[in-house]
Amino acid sequence: MKRRGRGMACMWYPIGFTVAANPSSAVVKLNEDGTATLLTGTVETGQGALTILAQITAQELGIATDDVHVVSADTDTTPMDTGAIASRTTYVTGNAARLAAEKVKLMLFDVAAPMLGVKPSQLEAKDHRIQVKGYPQRNLHIGDVANHARVITGEPPIGSASYNPATVALDPETGQGKPFGTYVYATQIAEVDVDDETGEVEVLRVVASHDCGTPINPMLVEGQVEGGISMGVGFALQEEILFDSAGRQINPNLTNYIMPTSLDMPEVEVDIVDNYDPTGPFGAKGVGEPTLVPTAAAILNAIHNAVGVRIHSLPATAEKVYAAIKAKREKNAGLLTGGTAQLPEAGPLGHHGADAGAP
Amino acid sequence: MEKKTTVAEKNRLETLLQDDGVVQTPAMGPLVTYPLEIVVPEVRHQTPAVGQRATRPDCRLHGLGQTKYIDDMTFPGMLYARIKRAGIASARIKSIDTSEAEAMPGVVAVITGRDIPCNSFGPSLKDQPVLADTRVFHAGDGVAAVAAVTEQIANDALLKIKVEYEALTPVLDPLESLKLETPGVHAPSANIYGSKVIKKGDVAKGFAESDHIFEGHFRTQMVEHVPLEPHSTIAMWDANGRLSIYSTLGRITLGRADVARTLGIPMSRIRMIATIVGGNFGGKNEITTEPVLALLSKKTGRPVKGTFTRSEEFIASTTRHPLIMDYKTGVTKEGKILARKVRLVLDGGAYCSWSETTLGKACILSAGPYNIENLHAEAFVVYTNKTMTGAMRGFGAPQVCFAYESHMDDIATALNIDPLDIRLLNAFDEGSLSPTGQTLQSVVVRESLLRAAERFGWHAKSNASDGAGAGAIVASKTTKGNGVRS
Repeated sequence: MKRRGRGMACMWYPIGFTVAANPSSAVVKLNEDGTATLLTGTVETGQGALTILAQITAQELGIATDDVHVVSADTDTTPMDTGAIASRTTYVTGNAARLAAEKVKLMLFDVAAPMLGVKPSQLEAKDHRIQVKGYPQRNLHIGDVANHARVITGEPPIGSASYNPATVALDPETGQGKPFGTYVYATQIAEVDVDDETGEVEVLRVVASHDCGTPINPMLVEGQVEGGISMGVGFALQEEILFDSAGRQINPNLTNYIMPTSLDMPEVEVDIVDNYDPTGPFGAKGVGEPTLVPTAAAILNAIHNAVGVRIHSLPATAEKVYAAIKAKREKNAGLLTGGTAQLPEAGPLGHHGADAGAP
Repeated sequence: MEKKTTVAEKNRLETLLQDDGVVQTPAMGPLVTYPLEIVVPEVRHQTPAVGQRATRPDCRLHGLGQTKYIDDMTFPGMLYARIKRAGIASARIKSIDTSEAEAMPGVVAVITGRDIPCNSFGPSLKDQPVLADTRVFHAGDGVAAVAAVTEQIANDALLKIKVEYEALTPVLDPLESLKLETPGVHAPSANIYGSKVIKKGDVAKGFAESDHIFEGHFRTQMVEHVPLEPHSTIAMWDANGRLSIYSTLGRITLGRADVARTLGIPMSRIRMIATIVGGNFGGKNEITTEPVLALLSKKTGRPVKGTFTRSEEFIASTTRHPLIMDYKTGVTKEGKILARKVRLVLDGGAYCSWSETTLGKACILSAGPYNIENLHAEAFVVYTNKTMTGAMRGFGAPQVCFAYESHMDDIATALNIDPLDIRLLNAFDEGSLSPTGQTLQSVVVRESLLRAAERFGWHAKSNASDGAGAGAIVASKTTKGNGVRS
């Protein structure tokens, strides 16, 4: 018999990492036609980081995403970066790219100010134009300003910047300090069907409500959430490296190491929580890792909700879930035949469902 | 129609197989003619850029099968490298005989750990040999490397390398490793190679004031990142002694530093290029065989490529830390958490790798996104003779979240409180102090809880049946795919 259950889990997660500083540098060069090149030492590992960085650079310069070409991941040509790690690219590298682009923008303002007959501080970069704040009709195309900077004033716009989150080392005795620049928050709710005759769990639906500060690109946020949930489903129900008694892996292949496929994917509903972090580029934080963090917890809570067993060890394989259901039934039967009137369905720890997961 | 294509394709392949010249053409994507005018989706042209659902420029390449991953790249005269894995969890290496392998036709060079100028590396502790030379610490350790004209010959050569081991008793259980009397995996270093403690308020007082005290014990397993693209590297030198490395690294800055250190050459003589990486998830944050390939290339004067097999991806790269987690929580009868004690033991595997960061994040995050006045969290990471654990998406957070959220639901069930309500009661607010005393900004735990609950229909369902609405029998088989995507 399939039984339906639902479970929630919420989480917090830091942007960047502890132990050492984690800076990023970036270089922005403006071409004569108003398009730009961003140099970054980070690596595109499939998450869409380079598109995010292009969007941040473009935003600062008032140009479009497609106007920014990103050169990345080459130690000969690109500046230092701590790397595609710790959900830090949007926040740390993004801040560096924004600061570098800001320097370019200020150089452009210096060039454009006499052309428009105003002070540099009265200018803004918007919609491919350098324009006077409050008087957008007084404007120049960014390409004209960039070309002017090169051919007339001889100051080709280029900017470089570094960013490192402000942190305070933790006290070794008490652990007090400021280990990270900022954190993100999220809740996921999972709906599952558990077959109480086989222990098989099917994840039907996951509602994922995630904070990432300003979503620089909502589509890429959704992509991260869907990918994270797929990883979370595997962590919750299927994946496990097994060792023999001599310490050698016995399933180092995709035949015996079971991972979720598209058929195991639940329906994912992504919800991006409105937020703005003053320390992030245009209010952005990050979203890469957190998307996976609450998934397993939500699924395991849903299993508990469906069949009343608490699995204390991952993964909650069908065998483990079935063993727990069976143990619970036997316990209940024993209590009933023993004439005990009270059947503690739930109670303080140790009285609510069996644990098949103890090692 | 589909059947016909399949038959035609089969015939074509058979023709190809008869013509060795065609078959040996390097693998590449389908031939396409590039249009002069590239159609760029409108959204990439729009301003302001932030907030746009801009497509990625690399998706055209992925879609056309034109992305060049490192394994797609070839250079003239390139050799193929393979690494011999120890296959024993703990041992002393008595001897390595490579003579028979070296004598094989097609084998160009063989190296062992003794050929590596500085045979140790690691992101924090330098406890990992590039190739094991005197001791094997886990079964996936490399003990020798071969460069040959084909991958097949390199594979065959591995079988001809004879390694004599003196087997040692491996330490496999992290709780065993934690005990002081257990022999050190990296003796004389202690097995506990990292620890962290976070103290806030007075836990004893908090427990004394609590109406109920709950305990929970949780464990998680070791898992692999399983990126679609396995680790892959090509190393080559030029006549000026400059080394170029194409690698699937996600952190080229650290990678270059590690290669410079292990080879003993200045960083300015190394160029590290990462191209497009086919999935990282934390598993490609540190070098693996880059120095080995560099040395094979130097020894042979030819470019050398090495790509992990799927099996090596499991046994020779990092994995996720298994955690053993003990929780004790004191609450009021209304469900307000007054005190929490957490103890975490992380199985660090054979080498430190990113354990210090994982330990730190796990410990800091272990209390959950909740206001807890009295907290004592401690975490330890220990060596075992198992596959090394390192950076993996979440750095310990998915493990502790599984524990603190399972524990939270147990408390809610016992006190007959809705899981949503108990979380709302305890959640961080703007300006809350984290366990480390940091004032938190842009906090939206509450908002995410309420929005997820609304979207899910949490209250609608819980009102429909008694209590938690648990275990309702599903009458008919439901199919996925009827939900709404935003």
